[in-house]
Amino acid sequence: MNKKFLLNRFGRTLLTLVGVSIIAFMILHLAPGDPARIMLGQFATEENIEIFREQHHLNEPLPVQYGAWITGVMQGNFGYSIRYNRPVHELIWTRMWPTLTLTVSALVLAVILGFTLGILAAIKRNSWLDYITTIQAMFWISIPAFWLGILFLYFFGLRLRWFPIGGMAGLASLVLPVFALGLREEAWFARPMRSEMLEVLNQAYIRSARARGIKERVIITKHALRNALIPLVTMIALRLPWIIGGSVVIEVVFAWGGMGSLLVNSVLARDFPVVQAILLLISFAVVMANLFADLLYSVIDPRIRLED
Amino acid sequence: MMSPILDINDLYLSFSTEEGELEAINGLNLEVEQGKIHGLIGETGCGKSVTGRTVLGLFDSNTMIKGGEILYNGDDLLSKTQHELQRDYRGNEIAMIFQDPGSSLNPVFKIEDQLDEVLRIYQPGKKAERRKKMIAALNAVKLPDPERLLKKYPHQLSGGMKQRVMIALNLACQPSLLIADEPTTALDVSIQAQFINVLKELQKEIDITILYITHDMAVVSEICDQVSVMYAGRIVEDVSMEDLFNKPVHPYSKLLVSSVLGPETNIDNLVEISGSVPRLINPPPGCRFHPRCEHMKPECKEEPPVLKEVAPGHQVACFKEDLS
Ligand SMILES: Nc1ncnc2c1ncn2[C@@H]1O[C@H](COP(=O)(O)OP(=O)(O)OP(=O)(O)O)[C@@H](O)[C@H]1O
Ligand code: SF4
Ligand SMILES: [Mg+2]
Repeated sequence: MNKKFLLNRFGRTLLTLVGVSIIAFMILHLAPGDPARIMLGQFATEENIEIFREQHHLNEPLPVQYGAWITGVMQGNFGYSIRYNRPVHELIWTRMWPTLTLTVSALVLAVILGFTLGILAAIKRNSWLDYITTIQAMFWISIPAFWLGILFLYFFGLRLRWFPIGGMAGLASLVLPVFALGLREEAWFARPMRSEMLEVLNQAYIRSARARGIKERVIITKHALRNALIPLVTMIALRLPWIIGGSVVIEVVFAWGGMGSLLVNSVLARDFPVVQAILLLISFAVVMANLFADLLYSVIDPRIRLED
Repeated sequence: MMSPILDINDLYLSFSTEEGELEAINGLNLEVEQGKIHGLIGETGCGKSVTGRTVLGLFDSNTMIKGGEILYNGDDLLSKTQHELQRDYRGNEIAMIFQDPGSSLNPVFKIEDQLDEVLRIYQPGKKAERRKKMIAALNAVKLPDPERLLKKYPHQLSGGMKQRVMIALNLACQPSLLIADEPTTALDVSIQAQFINVLKELQKEIDITILYITHDMAVVSEICDQVSVMYAGRIVEDVSMEDLFNKPVHPYSKLLVSSVLGPETNIDNLVEISGSVPRLINPPPGCRFHPRCEHMKPECKEEPPVLKEVAPGHQVACFKEDLS
């Protein structure tokens, strides 16, 4: 791979990260009013507020405060949660795994289901399967995430009693939130996969492979799919922020004790150190996913893989 | 006379389009002798590529077969299913090189992988053996440094190299009939000559039959044994290459040959002077050439003329009196 391309790409990633961290930091100061008062609440004494200020460097100029904060962050120190009175990194560490389980499972479900439906719809164009793929995709996309979650809870949890209604008790409680999150995303993969496949199947190299007597199954799963996947890799990275956003909502609906519900609770409790840390982590994940997609893109498309 | 390897009889094929039915192939008769290089020539849009694709059953979705038969060694290909065509004919009996070499190779696979895929199907053997065969296949089409070439992706090759790789890829299937659809159109003139020489030599060596589709009269004179002249979906003359240039009979063939004296040999530029191909949606009735023909008679507008033998190995479809 080309060094200049790599350097350029890494440089941009770094800049984005700096920008993102500044925004996460500024959240505290953009909220109207005195940050110390916001965090401690209206009944705090002047004295306590002054102590709090000293502790959190709130009397220093902003760049100095940012410097102190980001230095801590880089050492894994995100400060103290005001609400839980515990180090933020401990809180996040325990909340990260449920969120990862939820989002990764949903993504895997979305990719497998979306790609399969998209490919089948392309091969059987204008069949009932094609129409169903389109209709179900529109259906999932047009329902808000929280509403879909509530519907699932009502039907499969309350009515049919197939799955627990929220909480994190084993694999069974994972099913509904994963489907509520994953089906929406599946819709975003099925349609592009279908149109990519259709386009690729019309290419001259597919016809010429057919003329060589290569089996149709191999034409689809190897010759066509490999080409159709190239743009879809980027698609996955582009959907990542939405999956994370969706997971915040779904976590709240299903009482899933991950970072999403922690984020919402912390916002409500004005627990700014936690909010800052989670925003920073989520942005970090999205930025890194984009970087990864770019690198992967150049691995799976030989035309981009520049000679050294 | 030997029985032909490919024998197309009264083929009618249309495309359904938004403007109506487009009668692309209209009573086409074509016989290709075993072991020959048979040219198929005609202006752009006359149906050469469609004819080639139809032999392999590679139809666009709006294709309607209206009648006729395509006999390959006596078996009617039009009665086969796509699966039968794939299993029994494509590759192992009939292969095809398409008009656009640039996009005929899969961009995401190395030459090595694409060649090996074909070898594993048609010439199975150990990996080392297959590798030897790959090198030999690239050597056979005179590609330099095959070892390095195998590791390359299509976009790293020039047009001429890609087209030779396509030949290697198709010959690795060991077909008996190769349909080559204007394989040189996209190449530089100097590379064209090289390519044609390579193909000619190979054809003698492995005794393959080639249906060579082209626009270019110069290429015809260099490579073809027999030539079918096509006009608006029909063969109007079937003649040996020598006789085509020395004594063409059909008015359209005469037009082609008479204007080939200068440096310009591309049919499309030659015939522009005397009007252009008719539209194939509601085409002229009878002989489709009649709006451009100076020998036109009343009956030319009634029925299309059929191919008649005027000399051994020389057939013409025309109502003109003195067919010579
Ligand atoms: N799928 C299709 N739908 C509608 N019309 C088509 C289709 N494929 C080909 N045609 C038409 O059929 C006619 C014959 O096309 P074909 O490609 O065989 O011409 P050709 O002789 O190969 O021309 P060229 O020399 O430009 O390659 C043309 O009028 C073309 O527009
Ligand atoms: S059939 Fe008639 S119109 Fe057609 S080429 Fe012969 S003379 Fe001309
Ligand atoms: Mg063509």
